[in-house]
Amino acid sequence: MTEPLPWLILLPLAWATATFLLGPGRGAWLAIAGIAVQCGLTFALAGQLLAEGPQPHAAGGWAPPLGIALAADGLAAVMLLLTQGVALLLALYARGYFAPGDQAARHFWPLAGFLLAGMNALFLAADLFNLYVTLELVGLAAVGLVASGGGAAQLGAALRYLFATLLGSGAYLLGVALVYGAYGTVSIELLLPLVDADVPRAVWFAAALMLAGLMLKTALFPFHFWLPPAHGGAPAPVSALLSALVVKASFYLILRLWLGPFAPLAAAIAWLPALLGSAAILWGSWRAIRAERLKLLVAWSTVAQLGYLFLIFPLIAAPGPALAAGVMQAVSHGLAKAAMFAAAGVVIHVTGRDTVAGVAGVAGRLPLTLFAFALAGVTLMGLPPSGGFLAKWLLIDAALAQGAWALAAVVIAGGLLAAVYVFRVLRQAFLDAPAVEAAHPAPPLLEWTAFALAAASVLLGLRGMELLRLLSVGSAG
Amino acid sequence: MKRLAVSLGAALFAALLGAALLELGPPAATLAPLVAGTLAQSGVTHPVTAVLLNFRGYDTLLEIAVLLIALIGLTAVARRGEAPAATAAVEPVLTTLARLAAPLMVLVAVYLLWAGAFRPGGAFQAGAVLAAAAVLLHLTRLLPAWATPGTWLRAGLAGGFLLFLAIAAALLAEGALLKYPPAQAGLLILAIESGLTVSLGLILAGLFLFLSEERR
Repeated sequence: MTEPLPWLILLPLAWATATFLLGPGRGAWLAIAGIAVQCGLTFALAGQLLAEGPQPHAAGGWAPPLGIALAADGLAAVMLLLTQGVALLLALYARGYFAPGDQAARHFWPLAGFLLAGMNALFLAADLFNLYVTLELVGLAAVGLVASGGGAAQLGAALRYLFATLLGSGAYLLGVALVYGAYGTVSIELLLPLVDADVPRAVWFAAALMLAGLMLKTALFPFHFWLPPAHGGAPAPVSALLSALVVKASFYLILRLWLGPFAPLAAAIAWLPALLGSAAILWGSWRAIRAERLKLLVAWSTVAQLGYLFLIFPLIAAPGPALAAGVMQAVSHGLAKAAMFAAAGVVIHVTGRDTVAGVAGVAGRLPLTLFAFALAGVTLMGLPPSGGFLAKWLLIDAALAQGAWALAAVVIAGGLLAAVYVFRVLRQAFLDAPAVEAAHPAPPLLEWTAFALAAASVLLGLRGMELLRLLSVGSAG
Repeated sequence: MKRLAVSLGAALFAALLGAALLELGPPAATLAPLVAGTLAQSGVTHPVTAVLLNFRGYDTLLEIAVLLIALIGLTAVARRGEAPAATAAVEPVLTTLARLAAPLMVLVAVYLLWAGAFRPGGAFQAGAVLAAAAVLLHLTRLLPAWATPGTWLRAGLAGGFLLFLAIAAALLAEGALLKYPPAQAGLLILAIESGLTVSLGLILAGLFLFLSEERR
């Protein structure tokens, strides 16, 4: 184990296959041990990056364009850290959440393992076609997780998600084919000097297709239609994995393409993602404020929070903290949203009801879970000292430095709207409720993992500088 | 109205795509000479197999994982209920022909696997023929539909991928993911392709047989 990079892909593939061989519903501890080792590998990789700079790896020993290049830089390392950290806590949560013999748990561990392998492979890929394969790995594993053991409504949501994700990766693949037709290579490193503002129309078309396909997969407004039913209908650990991590994978790829090969083309349309992002913040928050079901409220909040990620694109060409703001938002939202779905899962497990009204009286019975939900809410609203605060601060800073007052106004309005839907749940929790006799007890493992995720999202603001230093390693800075 | 709008949109998209393609000249670089030049070190003599299993073997590793999760996802949603008993009997001629064809198809699959090293063929094609044999036997009621996979079937479905993964991990000792030593490359590729043929055959057959409602 001299090099951590390839093991971050091979290890989850290995334990995912092993849990499949063990049989339905088994292998939880194997998975948790595997993810724990992945955490260690990611820290080792981050240490290598800080000491030695970006880490390239030529798969098969063949240099591109013949072979496939893998590469780790600061941006990849930050996303890997987020993924392994959230996955470890959610794996512990899932171990407690699924009762033995639960239909939804039959295929959870292999699918989650392949999902993590796909995410890690995506973050480390530096080859457009290899990225397509990792997108399919992530997309199909995610659809399988949503569909597992569900009723008709959940299957319907999974099918809609499948169509959206296949359409997105299909558009991406068509774009890759056009790029290959134009330049004869799919290596990002080799494409960088070839693409300039004066490219053939086919490359413009390819860039538009690839970015639109990835926006569909990231559920950017108006492509968000598939997200609330899929994320709101799945079991809580699955919702948390999807909302916290999976949508960030396609955002990461948009960022890579935007900063990398498509940078000369992207400047012309930079306002478009910001406009859609603003619409996502307003519409997602509004639907979260109006939602009747608790998990749908959290899912609509994801639609809104993803909007912030796209506000950075008009600002990113000029030097400034725009990239740092986007990545900080991705990380803090990942932690907070995992915590919020985990806490919602505990509430629904205990009260047996997935409605905002059903939260009544939870303050007395589940103080720790409610505290976790509130801390996650602090991050989503962007109150200090949370990671969300740091992200929004950096974003407003970058916007004002470039005179983009409208973007700063959207950020502030979005924070206020988040406060409305978070306080709507908290207010309900403190209401008196008739005692419920049939309430299930709350397993401490579930409550504490939700709390740990929420606490991490808030404390991230205090350790943000270390993360930003890691981010600046390599070209992305 | 909706249909008209969708048709117009699709036509516009096709026109744009066609126009963009017509404008495109020959690519700045082509990989064919590079592949031909390095073929001698790849362990096989057919360029497609060299690209799939050696130069871009890492892509293929992940693609097998994609097929495996497609199957796992399918068994997760397949209905597990009592299927209606088979009603009409199958024509005896059909049954006899299927009995004759199936062993031949296995033979063809083995040939395709072996031929992949030097001419068109390989694990994907061989696996597809094996799967077709299984579907044929199922349609003539000689092979029942599959329910939840047991230990042996799971081992068969995942075994090829696991072997591929183990070889990829072992080759990290050479310095990179799936970096074959040129002397052993041919043998290792044959081992990987043999495992994949069995597993791909089972996976592709499973995509049909796990969903089938006819059980005997």
